Amino acid sequence: MKNQNTILSSSGLETLQARFALRVTAQLNEASRELPHDVTERLKAAREHALERARLARRAEAATQVQTAGGGVAALLGGGPRSDWWLKLASVLPLVALVIGFVLIEHVHTKTQISAAAEIDAALLADDVPPAAYSDPGFVEFLKAPRD
Amino acid sequence: MASEKELTDFLKSVEKRAFKRALYAVRDNEAALDIVQDAMIRLAEKYGDRPAAELPLVFQRILSNATMDWFRRQKVRGAIMRNFSDFESAGEDGDFDILETLEAQDGSTASESASDSVSRAQILLAIEAQIEQLPGRQREAFLLRYWEELDVAETAAAMGCSEGSVKTHCSRAVHALAKALKAKGITL
Repeated sequence: MKNQNTILSSSGLETLQARFALRVTAQLNEASRELPHDVTERLKAAREHALERARLARRAEAATQVQTAGGGVAALLGGGPRSDWWLKLASVLPLVALVIGFVLIEHVHTKTQISAAAEIDAALLADDVPPAAYSDPGFVEFLKAPRD
Repeated sequence: MASEKELTDFLKSVEKRAFKRALYAVRDNEAALDIVQDAMIRLAEKYGDRPAAELPLVFQRILSNATMDWFRRQKVRGAIMRNFSDFESAGEDGDFDILETLEAQDGSTASESASDSVSRAQILLAIEAQIEQLPGRQREAFLLRYWEELDVAETAAAMGCSEGSVKTHCSRAVHALAKALKAKGITL
Protein backbone atom coordinates (compact mmCIF):
# COMPACT_ATOMS: atom_id res chain seq x y z
CA MET A 1 0.00 0.00 0.00
CA LYS A 2 2.91 2.27 0.72
CA ASN A 3 4.07 1.83 -2.85
CA GLN A 4 0.63 2.77 -4.05
CA ASN A 5 0.83 5.93 -1.96
CA THR A 6 4.18 6.91 -3.36
CA ILE A 7 3.00 6.66 -6.95
CA LEU A 8 0.11 9.01 -6.24
CA SER A 9 0.72 12.48 -7.58
CA SER A 10 0.58 15.31 -5.08
CA SER A 11 -2.66 16.55 -6.64
CA GLY A 12 -4.13 13.06 -6.32
CA LEU A 13 -3.20 12.95 -2.66
CA GLU A 14 -4.69 16.38 -2.13
CA THR A 15 -7.92 15.20 -3.75
CA LEU A 16 -8.05 12.20 -1.42
CA GLN A 17 -7.40 14.44 1.57
CA ALA A 18 -10.11 16.85 0.45
CA ARG A 19 -12.61 14.01 0.04
CA PHE A 20 -11.91 12.72 3.52
CA ALA A 21 -11.98 16.24 4.98
CA LEU A 22 -15.35 16.98 3.38
CA ARG A 23 -16.80 13.83 4.91
CA VAL A 24 -15.55 14.93 8.31
CA THR A 25 -16.89 18.46 7.90
CA ALA A 26 -20.26 17.08 6.80
CA GLN A 27 -20.43 15.42 10.20
CA LEU A 28 -19.36 18.66 11.87
CA ASN A 29 -22.14 20.51 10.04
CA GLU A 30 -24.60 18.04 11.44
CA ALA A 31 -23.18 18.54 14.92
CA SER A 32 -23.38 22.32 14.63
CA ARG A 33 -27.04 22.12 13.57
CA GLU A 34 -27.89 20.20 16.71
CA LEU A 35 -26.72 22.75 19.25
CA PRO A 36 -28.62 22.96 22.55
CA HIS A 37 -31.45 25.48 22.67
CA ASP A 38 -29.80 27.68 25.30
CA VAL A 39 -26.66 27.95 23.16
CA THR A 40 -28.62 28.96 20.05
CA GLU A 41 -30.54 31.52 22.10
CA ARG A 42 -27.35 33.00 23.47
CA LEU A 43 -25.86 33.11 20.00
CA LYS A 44 -28.97 34.92 18.81
CA ALA A 45 -28.69 37.42 21.69
CA ALA A 46 -25.00 37.92 20.91
CA ARG A 47 -25.84 38.57 17.26
CA GLU A 48 -28.55 41.09 18.19
CA HIS A 49 -26.15 42.83 20.55
CA ALA A 50 -23.49 43.04 17.86
CA LEU A 51 -25.97 44.39 15.31
CA GLU A 52 -27.16 47.02 17.80
CA ARG A 53 -23.57 48.12 18.32
CA ALA A 54 -23.16 48.31 14.55
CA ARG A 55 -26.29 50.49 14.30
CA LEU A 56 -24.93 52.83 16.98
CA ALA A 57 -21.55 53.02 15.24
CA ARG A 58 -23.24 53.85 11.93
CA ARG A 59 -25.44 56.52 13.54
CA ALA A 60 -22.43 58.11 15.22
CA GLU A 61 -20.55 58.11 11.93
CA ALA A 62 -23.52 59.64 10.09
CA ALA A 63 -23.88 62.35 12.77
CA THR A 64 -20.20 63.21 12.45
CA GLN A 65 -20.54 63.49 8.68
CA VAL A 66 -23.63 65.73 8.97
CA GLN A 67 -21.84 67.96 11.49
CA THR A 68 -18.80 68.27 9.25
CA ALA A 69 -20.92 68.91 6.17
CA GLY A 70 -23.08 71.44 8.09
CA GLY A 71 -20.01 73.37 9.19
CA GLY A 72 -18.75 73.46 5.63
CA VAL A 73 -22.09 74.67 4.27
CA ALA A 74 -22.33 77.40 6.91
CA ALA A 75 -18.87 78.58 6.01
CA LEU A 76 -19.70 78.55 2.32
CA LEU A 77 -23.08 80.31 2.61
CA GLY A 78 -24.06 82.82 5.34
CA GLY A 79 -21.09 82.79 7.62
CA GLY A 80 -18.32 82.98 5.05
CA PRO A 81 -18.35 86.54 3.55
CA ARG A 82 -19.66 88.15 6.71
CA SER A 83 -17.00 86.68 8.93
CA ASP A 84 -14.43 87.59 6.29
CA TRP A 85 -15.56 91.24 6.32
CA TRP A 86 -15.38 91.38 10.11
CA LEU A 87 -11.96 89.83 10.01
CA LYS A 88 -10.72 92.50 7.60
CA LEU A 89 -12.29 95.27 9.70
CA ALA A 90 -10.76 93.91 12.83
CA SER A 91 -7.34 93.81 11.23
CA VAL A 92 -7.62 97.44 9.90
CA LEU A 93 -8.94 98.97 13.15
CA PRO A 94 -5.62 99.05 15.05
CA LEU A 95 -3.95 100.74 12.06
CA VAL A 96 -6.63 103.44 11.94
CA ALA A 97 -6.31 104.01 15.69
CA LEU A 98 -2.55 104.36 15.33
CA VAL A 99 -2.84 107.00 12.57
CA ILE A 100 -5.42 108.98 14.59
CA GLY A 101 -3.09 108.81 17.57
CA PHE A 102 -0.18 110.20 15.55
CA VAL A 103 -2.29 113.09 14.21
CA LEU A 104 -3.50 113.98 17.71
CA ILE A 105 0.01 113.91 19.16
CA GLU A 106 1.28 116.11 16.30
CA HIS A 107 -1.60 118.57 16.82
CA VAL A 108 -1.03 118.82 20.58
CA HIS A 109 2.71 119.18 20.09
CA THR A 110 2.29 122.05 17.56
CA LYS A 111 -0.23 123.82 19.78
CA THR A 112 2.13 123.62 22.75
CA GLN A 113 5.00 125.07 20.69
CA ILE A 114 2.82 127.96 19.45
CA SER A 115 1.59 128.85 22.90
CA ALA A 116 5.15 128.69 24.30
CA ALA A 117 6.40 131.07 21.55
CA ALA A 118 3.48 133.45 22.15
CA GLU A 119 4.26 133.59 25.84
CA ILE A 120 7.90 134.52 25.09
CA ASP A 121 6.86 137.19 22.58
CA ALA A 122 4.35 138.69 25.01
CA ALA A 123 6.93 138.76 27.78
CA LEU A 124 9.45 140.49 25.47
CA LEU A 125 6.99 143.05 24.22
CA ALA A 126 5.65 143.87 27.67
CA ASP A 127 9.12 144.35 29.18
CA ASP A 128 11.21 147.55 28.97
CA VAL A 129 13.70 147.83 26.12
CA PRO A 130 17.22 147.51 27.54
CA PRO A 131 19.71 150.35 26.60
CA ALA A 132 22.03 147.94 24.93
CA ALA A 133 19.29 147.22 22.40
CA TYR A 134 19.76 150.61 20.81
CA SER A 135 23.32 149.77 19.90
CA ASP A 136 22.04 146.77 17.90
CA PRO A 137 21.85 147.67 14.18
CA GLY A 138 18.93 145.32 13.61
CA PHE A 139 16.86 147.00 16.30
CA VAL A 140 17.68 150.41 14.85
CA GLU A 141 16.49 149.25 11.42
CA PHE A 142 13.33 147.89 13.06
CA LEU A 143 12.65 151.28 14.60
CA LYS A 144 13.26 153.09 11.26
CA ALA A 145 10.95 150.79 9.34
CA PRO A 146 7.54 152.28 8.58
CA ARG A 147 4.65 151.03 10.72
CA ASP A 148 1.60 149.58 9.05
CA MET B 1 -20.52 48.48 2.10
CA ALA B 2 -22.53 45.59 3.62
CA SER B 3 -26.14 46.49 4.39
CA GLU B 4 -27.62 45.68 7.78
CA LYS B 5 -29.48 42.75 6.25
CA GLU B 6 -26.32 41.36 4.68
CA LEU B 7 -24.51 41.67 8.00
CA THR B 8 -27.40 39.98 9.82
CA ASP B 9 -27.59 37.15 7.30
CA PHE B 10 -23.85 36.65 7.43
CA LEU B 11 -23.77 36.45 11.22
CA LYS B 12 -26.72 34.05 11.20
CA SER B 13 -24.99 31.80 8.70
CA VAL B 14 -21.71 31.70 10.56
CA GLU B 15 -22.54 31.85 14.27
CA LYS B 16 -23.04 28.14 14.94
CA ARG B 17 -19.89 27.05 13.17
CA ALA B 18 -18.03 29.89 14.88
CA PHE B 19 -19.23 28.65 18.25
CA LYS B 20 -18.10 25.12 17.44
CA ARG B 21 -14.73 26.32 16.23
CA ALA B 22 -14.20 28.27 19.44
CA LEU B 23 -15.46 25.34 21.49
CA TYR B 24 -13.01 22.92 19.85
CA ALA B 25 -10.21 25.30 20.79
CA VAL B 26 -11.13 26.31 24.34
CA ARG B 27 -13.31 23.34 25.35
CA ASP B 28 -15.59 25.50 27.44
CA ASN B 29 -19.13 26.52 26.45
CA GLU B 30 -19.16 29.83 28.29
CA ALA B 31 -15.77 30.87 26.99
CA ALA B 32 -16.70 29.86 23.44
CA LEU B 33 -19.90 31.93 23.60
CA ASP B 34 -17.94 34.93 24.91
CA ILE B 35 -15.39 34.57 22.14
CA VAL B 36 -18.06 34.41 19.44
CA GLN B 37 -19.89 37.42 20.88
CA ASP B 38 -16.65 39.35 21.07
CA ALA B 39 -15.84 38.47 17.45
CA MET B 40 -19.32 39.44 16.28
CA ILE B 41 -19.15 42.81 18.02
CA ARG B 42 -15.68 43.53 16.63
CA LEU B 43 -16.86 42.68 13.13
CA ALA B 44 -20.08 44.68 13.38
CA GLU B 45 -18.50 47.76 14.94
CA LYS B 46 -15.22 48.02 13.08
CA TYR B 47 -15.77 46.21 9.82
CA GLY B 48 -19.50 46.66 9.24
CA ASP B 49 -18.72 49.13 6.46
CA ARG B 50 -16.75 46.54 4.46
CA PRO B 51 -18.27 44.93 1.35
CA ALA B 52 -20.30 41.82 2.13
CA ALA B 53 -17.88 39.64 0.16
CA GLU B 54 -15.03 40.51 2.53
CA LEU B 55 -16.92 39.61 5.70
CA PRO B 56 -16.16 35.84 5.83
CA LEU B 57 -12.40 36.24 5.70
CA VAL B 58 -12.38 39.19 8.09
CA PHE B 59 -14.64 37.36 10.53
CA GLN B 60 -12.48 34.23 10.54
CA ARG B 61 -9.43 36.35 11.26
CA ILE B 62 -11.25 38.16 14.07
CA LEU B 63 -12.47 34.87 15.53
CA SER B 64 -8.95 33.44 15.50
CA ASN B 65 -7.62 36.57 17.19
CA ALA B 66 -10.42 36.53 19.76
CA THR B 67 -9.57 32.91 20.56
CA MET B 68 -5.89 33.77 20.92
CA ASP B 69 -6.82 36.70 23.17
CA TRP B 70 -8.75 34.29 25.37
CA PHE B 71 -5.70 32.03 25.67
CA ARG B 72 -3.53 35.04 26.50
CA ARG B 73 -5.93 36.12 29.23
CA GLN B 74 -5.92 32.58 30.60
CA LYS B 75 -2.15 32.64 30.59
CA VAL B 76 -2.14 35.88 32.52
CA ARG B 77 -4.47 34.32 35.07
CA GLY B 78 -2.06 31.45 35.43
CA ALA B 79 -4.41 28.84 34.09
CA ILE B 80 -3.09 25.61 32.70
CA MET B 81 -3.11 25.80 28.94
CA ARG B 82 -3.14 22.37 27.55
CA ASN B 83 -3.92 23.48 24.04
CA PHE B 84 -1.19 26.06 23.73
CA SER B 85 1.57 23.51 23.65
CA ASP B 86 -0.30 21.89 20.82
CA PHE B 87 0.40 24.88 18.62
CA GLU B 88 4.01 23.79 18.31
CA SER B 89 3.96 20.04 18.00
CA ALA B 90 3.24 18.61 14.60
CA GLY B 91 2.90 15.00 15.60
CA GLU B 92 4.29 12.09 13.66
CA ASP B 93 2.05 10.00 11.52
CA GLY B 94 4.61 7.25 11.12
CA ASP B 95 3.90 4.99 8.22
CA PHE B 96 0.18 5.57 8.33
CA ASP B 97 -1.39 5.49 4.89
CA ILE B 98 -4.40 7.71 4.29
CA LEU B 99 -5.21 5.89 1.05
CA GLU B 100 -5.82 2.76 3.04
CA THR B 101 -8.44 4.53 5.13
CA LEU B 102 -10.07 6.22 2.18
CA GLU B 103 -10.22 3.02 0.19
CA ALA B 104 -11.90 1.34 3.08
CA GLN B 105 -14.37 4.22 3.26
CA ASP B 106 -15.10 4.10 -0.46
CA GLY B 107 -16.48 0.62 -0.10
CA SER B 108 -19.52 1.94 1.74
CA THR B 109 -21.24 -1.42 1.90
CA ALA B 110 -18.21 -2.92 3.57
CA SER B 111 -18.11 -0.16 6.16
CA GLU B 112 -21.72 -0.64 7.23
CA SER B 113 -20.73 -3.12 9.90
CA ALA B 114 -18.49 -0.59 11.66
CA SER B 115 -21.21 2.03 11.55
CA ASP B 116 -23.67 -0.38 13.03
CA SER B 117 -21.47 -0.97 16.05
CA VAL B 118 -21.48 2.67 17.12
CA SER B 119 -24.45 4.96 17.13
CA ARG B 120 -24.50 8.04 14.93
CA ALA B 121 -24.38 10.39 17.91
CA GLN B 122 -21.39 8.58 19.30
CA ILE B 123 -19.63 8.86 15.96
CA LEU B 124 -20.26 12.59 15.98
CA LEU B 125 -18.87 12.88 19.48
CA ALA B 126 -15.85 10.81 18.56
CA ILE B 127 -15.13 12.96 15.52
CA GLU B 128 -15.48 16.13 17.57
CA ALA B 129 -13.21 14.69 20.23
CA GLN B 130 -10.58 13.97 17.60
CA ILE B 131 -10.94 17.47 16.19
CA GLU B 132 -10.35 18.82 19.70
CA GLN B 133 -7.29 16.63 20.06
CA LEU B 134 -5.64 18.06 16.96
CA PRO B 135 -2.81 20.54 17.52
CA GLY B 136 -4.22 24.07 17.44
CA ARG B 137 -2.73 25.22 14.16
CA GLN B 138 -3.65 22.00 12.40
CA ARG B 139 -7.22 22.22 13.67
CA GLU B 140 -7.48 25.87 12.65
CA ALA B 141 -6.13 25.21 9.16
CA PHE B 142 -8.35 22.15 8.71
CA LEU B 143 -11.54 23.92 9.82
CA LEU B 144 -10.90 27.09 7.86
CA ARG B 145 -9.92 25.25 4.71
CA TYR B 146 -12.53 22.50 4.65
CA TRP B 147 -15.35 23.62 6.95
CA GLU B 148 -15.37 27.34 6.23
CA GLU B 149 -14.39 26.49 2.65
CA LEU B 150 -11.73 29.16 2.34
CA ASP B 151 -9.12 28.55 -0.33
CA VAL B 152 -5.46 28.03 0.58
CA ALA B 153 -4.56 31.70 0.12
CA GLU B 154 -7.50 32.89 2.21
CA THR B 155 -6.73 30.38 4.93
CA ALA B 156 -3.13 31.56 4.97
CA ALA B 157 -4.30 35.17 5.24
CA ALA B 158 -6.70 34.32 8.07
CA MET B 159 -4.02 32.40 9.96
CA GLY B 160 -1.20 34.82 9.22
CA CYS B 161 1.07 32.16 7.74
CA SER B 162 2.30 30.98 4.34
CA GLU B 163 0.26 28.91 1.91
CA GLY B 164 2.82 26.11 2.26
CA SER B 165 2.22 26.01 6.01
CA VAL B 166 -1.52 25.77 5.43
CA LYS B 167 -1.06 22.79 3.12
CA THR B 168 1.24 21.10 5.62
CA HIS B 169 -1.14 21.71 8.54
CA CYS B 170 -4.13 20.47 6.52
CA SER B 171 -2.32 17.35 5.36
CA ARG B 172 -1.17 16.48 8.86
CA ALA B 173 -4.63 17.14 10.29
CA VAL B 174 -6.28 14.88 7.71
CA HIS B 175 -3.77 12.10 8.35
CA ALA B 176 -4.13 12.40 12.11
CA LEU B 177 -7.94 12.34 11.93
CA ALA B 178 -8.02 9.44 9.50
CA LYS B 179 -5.62 7.45 11.63
CA ALA B 180 -7.48 8.16 14.89
CA LEU B 181 -10.90 7.41 13.44
CA LYS B 182 -9.68 4.22 11.84
CA ALA B 183 -8.24 3.12 15.17
CA LYS B 184 -11.69 3.57 16.68
CA GLY B 185 -13.31 1.61 13.88
CA ILE B 186 -15.13 4.66 12.58
CA THR B 187 -15.63 5.14 8.89
CA LEU B 188 -17.41 8.05 7.30
